[in-house]
Amino acid sequence: MTIVRAPLVFVMLFVAVSGCDEGPRNAQPAVEGNPQAGAAAIASYGCGTCHMIPGIPGADATAGPPLGNYARRVYVAGVLPNTPDDLVRWIRHPQEVDPRTAMPELGVTEEEARDIAAYLYTRTGGRW
Amino acid sequence: MVTRIVSTLLVLTILSLVGAAVYVYSGVYDVAATRQHTPPVYWLLQTALRRSIAVRARDIETPDLSGPDRFRSGMRLYRERCAQCHGAPGVAPDRFSLGMTPVPPPIMQAGREMSPAEIFWTVKHGLKMTGMPGWDFKLTDEEIWDIVAFSIAVPNLSPAQYYELAGIEQNPPEPTQAEGADQASGDAEAGRVALLQYGCIACHTIDGVTGPDAWVGPPLRRMRERKYIAGVLPNSRENLIRWIRDPQGVDPLTAMPQLGVTEKHARDIAAYLYSLDDAGREMR
Ligand code: HEC
Ligand code: HEC
Repeated sequence: MTIVRAPLVFVMLFVAVSGCDEGPRNAQPAVEGNPQAGAAAIASYGCGTCHMIPGIPGADATAGPPLGNYARRVYVAGVLPNTPDDLVRWIRHPQEVDPRTAMPELGVTEEEARDIAAYLYTRTGGRW
Repeated sequence: MVTRIVSTLLVLTILSLVGAAVYVYSGVYDVAATRQHTPPVYWLLQTALRRSIAVRARDIETPDLSGPDRFRSGMRLYRERCAQCHGAPGVAPDRFSLGMTPVPPPIMQAGREMSPAEIFWTVKHGLKMTGMPGWDFKLTDEEIWDIVAFSIAVPNLSPAQYYELAGIEQNPPEPTQAEGADQASGDAEAGRVALLQYGCIACHTIDGVTGPDAWVGPPLRRMRERKYIAGVLPNSRENLIRWIRDPQGVDPLTAMPQLGVTEKHARDIAAYLYSLDDAGREMR
């Protein structure tokens, strides 16, 4: 029943696979965004009131999980694969992705979310 | 002078050989899979393994891995031969593999972080002293490449997408083991061993428990202070235990599998996680 229903997933897969053939991948997903602008957006949306985020002053909260070393995470919030598009989707509309989640919709724009994702992917330092 | 140095070196060499022999024969070294490696030993073993794979995979040429046929064939082979040990998104490995040391890492992390050639080499030749079988005599090279194609694609799927492609119902919840509700607060030290024996370290980085540098799930640090468990339940001991035992019952979308953790072991694990202070040290 299932394979037939899933052509779209396959299309996504090929996009995903085709970029992956050359040499070891360094677990650093490419995202088009500006990390500096991302840091500013993180500060202005107050993500640090709920998360520990390396490099953001005062972002040392524990309502949500720590966001350090995010490039190496396999899943976003345990439910989406950690691809740039899915991370952006989560940051913009967590409640749409997982209606049960405690992370609020904050009205982040597409561009801001890309910048934030770029920031999270570049901050790989530190264990957490 | 020179003879002095030579004889000193000779004596030192003999002493260290004797020391090594005494160490080996006395049985001091603990081979129990229930006892974790010390961090330096673990680091040494892992580094040797990584380097060995990297060097040997260098000259392997990767064929074209795209196309639905490869993925489908790889998924079928993977589910037949590999999922018992390595699990799949939202799907736990078999019970036996959870007690292995080293614990088989989830394929989603290997597929993200190893090159196709490295995965190919590892699957073909296996890894000595780890429990990873060599598949050279059981699978053709083409079949192994199919598995590689699956492995590098599967990290890009959500658990829900994977269930759909694989045609599986979600993991049925484990039957609850009747054990007489133990309301005691749990034994942190037993919890630390349980984190090893249920293979939790295959996916989570956990202070005080030596394991792979795993980033499949979030790091389990500062659990005492968290407001939510997995972002969906208010943080309390009972909710943490509930999540550990029945994650997919709480959140059907989660990639964390049902691992059949008993009430007692979940209580012990909660006791251990809550015993860690901000810096990840145990509070006593
Ligand atoms: C009111 C608290 C709160 C605020 C504010 C908040 N988050 Fe979250 N966030 C959470 C919670 C709780 C979770 C866990 C959700 C889950 O797993 O379902 C979470 C999860 C996440 C995750 C996934 C974490 C993982 O382990 O994969 C990311 C990424 C994230 N948030 C980014 C952000 C960003 C970026 C902002 C600011 C724009 C932000 N959050 C603001 C509470 C918050
Ligand atoms: C009996 C259990 C078992 C089976 C079956 C098994 N593996 Fe493994 N596998 C292991 C163990 C144990 C390791 C070593 C973990 C370590 O120390 O890194 C391993 C390592 C690996 C690695 C390297 C991952 C890493 O990060 O080091 C890959 C890739 C892998 N296995 C793929 C496969 C595939 C594909 C199959 C099926 C053809 C398979 N395995 C079958 C137990 C198993």
